[in-house]
Amino acid sequence: MTDERTGAQVMCEALVREDVEVMFGIPGGAIMPFYHAMWEYRDRLRHVLCRHEQGAGHAAEGYARSTGKPGVCVATSGPGATNLVTPIANAWMDSTPLVAITGQVSSAVLGKDAFQETDITGITLPITKHNYRVSRAEDLPSVFREAFHIARTGRPGPVLIDVTKDAQQARLVPDWNVTLNVPGFSAPVGLDPRAIREAARILAGASKPLILAGQGVIISDAVAELRTLAERTGIPVVTTLHGIGAFPEDHPLSIGMPGMHGWVHVNRAIQECDVLLCIGARFDDRVTGKASTFAPRASVIHIDIDPSEIGKNVKVAVAIIGDARAALRALIELIPPRDAAIWLRNIRETQATHQHRQPYLRRPDTTELMPHDVYAALNAALNKRGGYRVITDVGQHQMWAAQLIEWRRPRTHITSGGAGTMGFAVPAAMGAAIAHPDETIWAIVGDGGFQMTNQELATIGQEGIKNVKVAIVNNGYLGMVRQWQQLFEGRRYSGTPLTGPSFAGLAEAYGLRGFTVDRIEDAEEAIRAAWDHDGSVVLDFRVEREANVFPLVPPGLSIGEMITREAPA
Amino acid sequence: MRHTLIALVEDRPGALNRILGLLRGRGLGLHSIAVGDSETPGVKRATVLVDTESVEQTIKQLNRLIEVLEVTDVTNAEYVVRETALVKIHAPEPRRDEIKTVADGFGARIVGSSPQTVVVEMTDTPDRLGEMIARVMAIGACETMRSGSLAMALAGPAPRVPAPAPEDATRVWWSQADGIS
Repeated sequence: MTDERTGAQVMCEALVREDVEVMFGIPGGAIMPFYHAMWEYRDRLRHVLCRHEQGAGHAAEGYARSTGKPGVCVATSGPGATNLVTPIANAWMDSTPLVAITGQVSSAVLGKDAFQETDITGITLPITKHNYRVSRAEDLPSVFREAFHIARTGRPGPVLIDVTKDAQQARLVPDWNVTLNVPGFSAPVGLDPRAIREAARILAGASKPLILAGQGVIISDAVAELRTLAERTGIPVVTTLHGIGAFPEDHPLSIGMPGMHGWVHVNRAIQECDVLLCIGARFDDRVTGKASTFAPRASVIHIDIDPSEIGKNVKVAVAIIGDARAALRALIELIPPRDAAIWLRNIRETQATHQHRQPYLRRPDTTELMPHDVYAALNAALNKRGGYRVITDVGQHQMWAAQLIEWRRPRTHITSGGAGTMGFAVPAAMGAAIAHPDETIWAIVGDGGFQMTNQELATIGQEGIKNVKVAIVNNGYLGMVRQWQQLFEGRRYSGTPLTGPSFAGLAEAYGLRGFTVDRIEDAEEAIRAAWDHDGSVVLDFRVEREANVFPLVPPGLSIGEMITREAPA
Repeated sequence: MRHTLIALVEDRPGALNRILGLLRGRGLGLHSIAVGDSETPGVKRATVLVDTESVEQTIKQLNRLIEVLEVTDVTNAEYVVRETALVKIHAPEPRRDEIKTVADGFGARIVGSSPQTVVVEMTDTPDRLGEMIARVMAIGACETMRSGSLAMALAGPAPRVPAPAPEDATRVWWSQADGIS
């Protein structure tokens, strides 16, 4: 017995050493040696065979976002690898730790347009934190180590490892005593005490301070610190789409989501505040609207681990570069207790005037199931039962979910934000369900996004995954586009009406349970039945077709200029 | 505005590709890039002339690339710029003296010739190269090959190469996993 291994075995061992327990993928010619080796590791490394590599990538993202650990996806060369491009781009935009492993043609034929050869490291250059092509098996231990280190350190993100077939097949005695030598990868540095002092000074002198909390709070595990800071200072807290869960929405200081579909009182508070403390958020244009008019009265204090986010979209008065939790702890030490009750009362008065949960008023002449009926029933069930996570897709249903569910815990709201990838929800829910078998994972998805990746229902069936509950908010349109066409393009519904099969029937065909719900009085019962069913379920909610998401900041305008209802016809 | 950046870059496959891709992806205009070995083995030094509205953002974005070790903007520092040009001038014998006169005037050298052509080499500021080229173009058809600008700040700290991570840190990290093999 020697210590000799194949490159493919070294890859498996590296994954075990990195605490990987599951990977999502599809085999093919150039990655076959890895699958061959995987068989010996099947008690330690679970492989989930997906139906499309995009599904594998999003499943790995769902795993990563719900656990904080890197997700792993696997594909073969050529089309297998290119099918991973969308999830890699999605992970890049949403700072999700993801390690994508692809097979590559043998080095002997590399560069000769070999069968299923694609330059995947070239293709993914701008959407990965880093990527590697490995053609020497000896490099595998250090490359895997670096890749996982880079994926999860600092601002997390995707890393791709492309391994030629001959490197997987080569025999070697691996040297695991590798030195992590990435001098150009600036790991988080210590906080600048002057910046902390200056931020504390500005906050202490503010009369209308506001906290804008993003996903960085969740990634750095700073939820408790954020709460301490808010409670100690009485500063109201706004949570971005990815910041949902960083601060409980039933807390008296929580005022909700900002931006394009944020609440009127939140956007007005941003426009009025004199100090804006932004923690782990990157001032996406969906948050700022027209950036030059964003928070015009505010001194902005920006805490971010990525220096390139400072001053990118919004001018900042003080930049604190570093880990959000460390920064918040340092700030808490320096900020004296204070009170912002009058300011908060003003915000609440605006909120009361605009009755923010009421723009979904049922039309007087219809009894159709409205989206808000579905969310009301879901919200009641989620908060009564607990033990859930919700994955949303992209579009109207995503904004309704962000607005209408009362979010309370980190990593319970997972969505595709920066990239806006339709088709994210079903596979991501599958990944989260595998990571959390004792929880109920809801996928809320539109009928458009559902039809992009619903092939993964077959994977859910094959793997015996019982805890995915899909709620389709089905309006027979690509609804967000249709809404823009209605509001800004004179109802020219070009390319947006959408049909589909019976989604309940489709679920049954895949061996899951499926129910169609089209009456208000059935919504609650359907959700209860789905939750209690010992298996994965698809609920097809046939909702009013032309319901809209309000409030809405028209694209390119200031967030102070919101549309709160349809113009009277 | 055009900025002159000096970057230290690890010599790994695709490193240059990443820098170029980043500039293109962020919509920045690349005027010239010149890369060669630095004093440290395995590390290249590049001079990048780039048009950017926010040089701070550009430098931060470049620093996000794993292979980029350091980026300095020398635009507002005291620095020298040099560029080398090779110019092939198509000129018959009788006009060669004229070329030599121009070359001498600019401190350029004739480095080779063929029956139809003369090749002149000159190293100077980009502007001076332009002037010389304009003059010889009046003599005969020219083909030019320019190196792109090389820049160097006059002052600055002694070069510092980041030290590799201590080896024992590595061992601790790996031993956390249950050993196989």
